[in-house]
Amino acid sequence: MIRKDVEKILLKVQKPGRYVGGELNAVVKDKQSVDVRFAFCFPDTYEIGMSHLGMKILYSLFNSYPYVWCERVFAPWLDMEEQMEKNNIPLYALESGDELSEFDFIGFTLQYELSYTNVLHMLKMSDIPLLSKDRKDLFNIVVAGGPCCCNPEPLADFVDVFFLGDGEEVDMEVIDLYRECKKNGDSKEEFLKKASKIEGVYVPSLYDVSYNDDGTVKEIKPIGDAPKKISKRVIMDMDNSYYPKDFVVSNVEIVFDRAVGEIFRGCIRGCRFCQAGFLYRPVREKSVDCINEQCHTLCKNTGYDEVSLNSLSSSDYSQIVPLLEKMSKWANEENVSLSLPSLRVDGFSDDILNKIKTVRKSGLTFAPEAGTQRLRDVINKNVYEDELLSTCKVAFEGGYSAVKLYFMIGLPTETYDDVKGIADLGKSVVDTYYSCDNRQKGKSVRVTLSASSFVPKPFTPFQWEAQDTREELEKKQRHIKESLASKKLVYNYHDADTSFLEAVFARGDRKLCKVLLKAAEYGMHFDSWSDCFSLEKWLKVFEECGVAPEFYANRKRDFAEVLPWDHLDYSISKEFLVNECKKAYENKTTENCREKCANCGANKYGGGVCFEKRKNMV
Amino acid sequence: MKNARIWFEKRDECKYISHLDLNRVMMRAIQKSKLPVWYTEGFNIHPYITFALPLSLGFVGVREPMDCRIEDDNFDFMTIPELLNPCLPNGIKVISANEPKYKAGDISSAEYKISLVSNYISNEELYSSFTELLKKDEILIEKKTKKGVKTVNLKEQILSFDISNSDKICLTLVLPCGSTNNVNPNLLIKAYENAMQNEVFAEIIRTDIFVEGGSRFE
Repeated sequence: MIRKDVEKILLKVQKPGRYVGGELNAVVKDKQSVDVRFAFCFPDTYEIGMSHLGMKILYSLFNSYPYVWCERVFAPWLDMEEQMEKNNIPLYALESGDELSEFDFIGFTLQYELSYTNVLHMLKMSDIPLLSKDRKDLFNIVVAGGPCCCNPEPLADFVDVFFLGDGEEVDMEVIDLYRECKKNGDSKEEFLKKASKIEGVYVPSLYDVSYNDDGTVKEIKPIGDAPKKISKRVIMDMDNSYYPKDFVVSNVEIVFDRAVGEIFRGCIRGCRFCQAGFLYRPVREKSVDCINEQCHTLCKNTGYDEVSLNSLSSSDYSQIVPLLEKMSKWANEENVSLSLPSLRVDGFSDDILNKIKTVRKSGLTFAPEAGTQRLRDVINKNVYEDELLSTCKVAFEGGYSAVKLYFMIGLPTETYDDVKGIADLGKSVVDTYYSCDNRQKGKSVRVTLSASSFVPKPFTPFQWEAQDTREELEKKQRHIKESLASKKLVYNYHDADTSFLEAVFARGDRKLCKVLLKAAEYGMHFDSWSDCFSLEKWLKVFEECGVAPEFYANRKRDFAEVLPWDHLDYSISKEFLVNECKKAYENKTTENCREKCANCGANKYGGGVCFEKRKNMV
Repeated sequence: MKNARIWFEKRDECKYISHLDLNRVMMRAIQKSKLPVWYTEGFNIHPYITFALPLSLGFVGVREPMDCRIEDDNFDFMTIPELLNPCLPNGIKVISANEPKYKAGDISSAEYKISLVSNYISNEELYSSFTELLKKDEILIEKKTKKGVKTVNLKEQILSFDISNSDKICLTLVLPCGSTNNVNPNLLIKAYENAMQNEVFAEIIRTDIFVEGGSRFE
């Protein structure tokens, strides 16, 4: 529904279709007939939020209950925000047009640290008190889920309830509890206490954090009978877990404008820098029939002519070729193309290539992550140069002429030789192209080298590492540039300043709450957008709050230090992480979950890849 | 195979989507509806659809044409609305379909109904000042074209106009449109705003499309 006051400003902003709702499959209910209204907020723009699979799953799941109405809320872009402010229009949900302050739950998904300011900004836009303690009633409960909840401490003062792990079950349990508490006339405190007993729920206000003189965490103590350790929730039976039959189909073009099938959760690899690879353990696959059915239904109900098979590493799906075979039968008939993101260098075969041979043969992307074998061993990437080159050869002979390679700089133990290795590897790919007899004739090759900066993250073997300083990172960026030996190489790099801020919040503690509050006061937001981000402003905020950001980003931590997220349990044992970190220093790799169990702790769920029969076992 | 011209409304939420987005919305609706539309046979297979006269973002259209080819010669055009409508978002509704009588290139003018509101002056004042403007021999406005900015006299371009003041100000305009000369009614609104130095809120509806000689585009 379009609000009358919004209608007046829509023609003054870019892409106004983002602010009106009414899309195909959007769910509109009668607000009088529901008990719980849930505002699902994505703290970024419509095009980004609407592309997010987790939101689609939970939106449909919540709305499948007749007593819940879940609506979508996105952060308006700067021009819209300015108009809303000028005309006193609060932030509203797309389905009803009602402002956030009318909702029982205001739920955020925390996908990246740089969206934290948007969370606060969105609350501010609807005049909702930012601090949890200032929202006294059992109403406007602010909840958050998503990967960043593995260290939610920088948001501890603002959010009432964090959901750890898979949301499908725990979110509904909390919604049901709220409904019950509301009927009983319980207070917010009573609700929170009861909620803290649900597995996967973390209520930060029920924990006291004390600090040592050096600023590190001394102890995290539960108040009352809140659990000492909070475990993530995990869905083990993926085939029978809820999956939407339709998506809200955006009228305006969004980033990933297609149907999405989820093929498995988790990742067998255990790359040591990758947080997702540890947070989502163990690997749990869906069956071929289940995925095939879900994708087909989605295409039928949305009208999308493209379906993408998502996971952390799609070529690691144990049945990938049978799946593609099964799907291509109807896909070809119905003019639907299949796409497979997150391909590994070693998982790229002719078989797969032929099935996903869609039209736009523009480019392929691989992520070797590091330039030399030694450093790839340190990060446990388990990808070899000859694999990369032979994969590129297959791609070039299959008609591709552009390859994008993702790297990270600032990885632990990195030397300038490793950094130069990035440029060298790029050159080898260019040479491979010209050594292919079957390459597309008369076409030049383009190899894009993209370097981002390493950000140490909680629950990874590198969670104790210091991030390179910005100066060091910039020096390394220049070093690559100077080492480029071919005009076919295009080099771009990620701004080191944003990576620095990301590192601060990724491993931050509750002392950062006041920093975020101050930043919100200054109206800072959209930090993941270069239009808005200013490190200068941030440094000023840190200084005013008496907080040194380097303490979080650039300090190497001791294995014995109490980490701000030590009370959260993602099933990965600290012992395992320490061990992995030590192995990294010795340039030693670890087998993937299918080859050999590394004893990380995720087998406690009694399923998934941990209990798959291994090929080398009789 | 036969040609089909499908007539639809574009309003409410869909008033705010661009022509490119409309194109995608329609392609998805066709894909979902399984309407036997002819698909292109190139590298990027998609339903072959064209729009005779794109509608600006923000305008309501009540009789908008979309052309496509139907593969089945015996296909009943009457079923097209019931097939497509469940596949379309709020704000786009298919009304009817027929075999095209004219070519898209025959289009020469369109009729617009515009309701005007001002936050600053009364309806009476708005009515009289707008009428005043329309009476002038010359209404000059800068128009951006591909070749650069040029000044045009809108008065010469207005094929007919009518302004009334019942409970709101309603302006009916017929303006040239099509591939050779296209005049956007917003230009007149802008000319008024420039002349009066204040803002008006205009709701523009394209009500009809005509071919050379004034017959209805069908």
